[in-house]
Amino acid sequence: MKRLISLTVNGENHEVVVEPRTTLLEVLRDALGLTGAKEGCSLGNCGACTVLLDGKPVLSCLLLAVEAQGKEIVTIEGLAEGGKLHPLQEAFVEHGAVQCGFCIPGIILSAKALLDENPHPAEEEVKEAISGNLCRCTGYSNAVRAILAAKVKEEGER
Amino acid sequence: MRQYRVIGKPLRRVDAGVKVTGEALFAADVKLPNMLHAKILRSPYPHARILRIDTSKTEALPGVKAVITGKDVGPIRFGFVDTPRYPADQYPLAIDKVRYVGEEVAAVAATDEITAIEALKLIEVEYEPLPAVFDPEEAMKEGAPKIHDEIVPNTTCAWQDWGVGRAARPFKVERNICATTSISYGDIEEGFAQSDYVREARFFVPATSHAAMEPHVVVASYDPTSGKLDVWLCHMSLAVKQYWLSKTLGIPQSKIRIHGCYTGGTFGGKIDLFAHEFLAAFLSMRTGRPVKIVLSREEVFMACRLSHRMIIDLRIGVRADGKIMAQHVKLINDPGAYRGSSPVVMFLAHAFRIPIYDIPNWKHEGVGVYTNKSICMPRRGHGSPQMSFAAEQLLDMIAEDMGMDPAELRLKNVRKPGDVLPNGDRLDSCGLRVGIQKIIEATGWKEKRGRGNYRGIGMGLSAMFSGAMYYPFASAAIVKLNPDGKATLFTGQSEFGQGSDTAMSQIAAEELGLDLEDIVIVSGDSELCPIDLGGFLSGGVYVSGEAVRRAAEDAKRQLLQVASEMLDVEIGSLQIENGRIFPKGNPQKGVTFAEVVRYNIQKHNGDPIIGRGFCKPVPEVEFYPSLTKGAGRFTDAYGFIVAVAEVEVDPETGRVKVERVTIADDCGQPINPANVHGQLLSQVVMGVGDALFEEIVTEEGRIVNASFEDYKIPGVYEVPEFVHIPTGTFEPKGPFGGKEVGEGARAAVIAAIANAVADAIGARIYSLPITPEKVLEALEAKKRSR
Repeated sequence: MKRLISLTVNGENHEVVVEPRTTLLEVLRDALGLTGAKEGCSLGNCGACTVLLDGKPVLSCLLLAVEAQGKEIVTIEGLAEGGKLHPLQEAFVEHGAVQCGFCIPGIILSAKALLDENPHPAEEEVKEAISGNLCRCTGYSNAVRAILAAKVKEEGER
Repeated sequence: MRQYRVIGKPLRRVDAGVKVTGEALFAADVKLPNMLHAKILRSPYPHARILRIDTSKTEALPGVKAVITGKDVGPIRFGFVDTPRYPADQYPLAIDKVRYVGEEVAAVAATDEITAIEALKLIEVEYEPLPAVFDPEEAMKEGAPKIHDEIVPNTTCAWQDWGVGRAARPFKVERNICATTSISYGDIEEGFAQSDYVREARFFVPATSHAAMEPHVVVASYDPTSGKLDVWLCHMSLAVKQYWLSKTLGIPQSKIRIHGCYTGGTFGGKIDLFAHEFLAAFLSMRTGRPVKIVLSREEVFMACRLSHRMIIDLRIGVRADGKIMAQHVKLINDPGAYRGSSPVVMFLAHAFRIPIYDIPNWKHEGVGVYTNKSICMPRRGHGSPQMSFAAEQLLDMIAEDMGMDPAELRLKNVRKPGDVLPNGDRLDSCGLRVGIQKIIEATGWKEKRGRGNYRGIGMGLSAMFSGAMYYPFASAAIVKLNPDGKATLFTGQSEFGQGSDTAMSQIAAEELGLDLEDIVIVSGDSELCPIDLGGFLSGGVYVSGEAVRRAAEDAKRQLLQVASEMLDVEIGSLQIENGRIFPKGNPQKGVTFAEVVRYNIQKHNGDPIIGRGFCKPVPEVEFYPSLTKGAGRFTDAYGFIVAVAEVEVDPETGRVKVERVTIADDCGQPINPANVHGQLLSQVVMGVGDALFEEIVTEEGRIVNASFEDYKIPGVYEVPEFVHIPTGTFEPKGPFGGKEVGEGARAAVIAAIANAVADAIGARIYSLPITPEKVLEALEAKKRSR
């Protein structure tokens, strides 16, 4: 049975028709054209579909769209403001943390959730935050460095 | 050290911006108007005859637009290897028989994905299960189930299509053997007779998954009015995909456009033409609508190829003074139900090892054997990880027998610059010796070795081509000067994470005397870009990069000619810097590139200045080396890697922790040191997975760990410390001195970890992965033998 739901994504309101079984990832990618969240396994094992739900990282391939109603959803498209990269995005570019790029949106959002909650994470906390995100290209180290550096950068701007 | 303006600088990747914002387009992100979604019905049996397929119920389901089976598609052959000796052996859809679990049997296109999935359930297939065989040694025995009948080509083979004047011959399959290799030089018996220390051992390497984060996707859109096919897919070579789509669909290559989009990791796993890519195009032709196929992760495991399983019997003989006199390899390769790249991997297992050690007597024999399992193809190193795991360990074992430091044994035998290999390849650069010397110093090798207490250190060496003679045999590039004095670069290289967009742009910028920001790159699009070898066989920098450099050089030559006319100064007295041309020592008098371009358009009949360049992997030879005999030139330059791993083993649990990996690499002049570092780190972490836990597990041919839940790849906690030691070499024939970097190191890392584990526990493990169970077993066996 299809139903009309309302979702707040990156601060914008969207009304979409979904089936009860439709996942948030499907809505984001297919209905809203926000293709930054990726489908890597559909089973919640890889983290490529990570988005933020009320600031917390969630696997949008496992979350039903109807469950996301009334919550603030942030996708990778919602990070840069006015054409200016978010400090985390900037740090990923700067530190060579990007190779094929498929897993990167998910890793950046996992990191954002951490920094929003804990602006001074230790390296171990950074690792823990992205431990649910798989990456086959980069070997992770540069992402960890980028996240630690983005923290410093944000502080510098304050 | 040469001074460059752009080369050798750790500049930001040109594709990083769109990849951190989510803007980067991958094939899965492509959505076309009126697009259909297709799904594939796959065989649940490892070996069965198809007696009957009934699709009538499927066709009746609302939303279903097309259902196809092997009958509709017909006996169209394709395969990675398609030579006169080894004709292609695969079909896009099974015709009368299925040979592995996951083989494509039927496909449905429907208005949405859910309908397509429902529709698959309505297809009735009656199978007659046949006896299956899963072990290559069993499969070679008389009376084993026969997987293939004679393979009779029904068309020209790829070699013919690319200009080799020999027709494909029927391939008679005997004892399930799909390929053989026999390469030798020197006198192997004599070599062993002259050896004082001889060791032999059998090594096993299982299949693994490439596990690129992006699952395989294709969108195909056929326009019947123009006869054109537009395709978006995950690829690492435009030429291979375009050629095979053209051949199997009967559409001229010019009318097939592989669109440029980013590919989410390949590692060899996206080089082949896949059945789903053909099927999307076929369904689009049949329905007149765009068709998209997104494979599930499970389908990727089953049907998008694995790395090669190998059983390696290895024998090496060494003289008392440490000179390696003979090496005899007998390998059994199990590529699965179809040939895949079996003859290639068996050849490469030889070709990637001969540039490392100078061994005068060598015999390399291989046999590829069909089994009822998933198909195997290249994976980062293609044969080198398997053979290096065996050979580097056996060398350590001999060093131990001799009481010699294994690093010392290697130093006595590694090749040096200027060496000519038995096949004629010449090493104009070779950083092995300096790499070993530097790494011994940097790691504290001598102090750390044999220190016991379950801590170990081990070394591994590997080598890799910088491009090879495989179709399309050439890379070309175009550099177009724009009226603003900046340039647009067109290259058929495609960006799948390896950094080619950045490297190619840096090479063009350097040659033109521009900044990286002044280059706009158009890559990975078959309609816009010229012919290219693609991103396999590791010829990106060396071959395509050189084509780019020559295209920029051609544009520069034209710029100088016009500037010479404008300034009335001889070309030889002009200097280029920062987008300006001026008489040497007189920068005030100069003209900008923009002025030169505009002047040329006005004065020379509208000529806007376009440079072109091209390059062949091995300029002196025409076609492929012989895979079977190993004759002919292989490559023009080798990348070399020396890796040292340090591990700690928990004797209670058997768990191995890789603490540090140090790599001394010889990639010639790094084009972008940040990318070089990234490629090596990538291989270090990948190598940890290979060495310690990655393995495809099958039961009756079915993969039982076809998910990231069950098939673990390294996560952030598995990352060891990585130390990078550049060897500072320069490849005189490479663009600005550069050569291979992205593929060779994985093999050395795996071998180094294996040797480090042996150093830590005082026992050998002969099969990958080195699991805690195997470590405990080895420790137990050691205890018992005391």
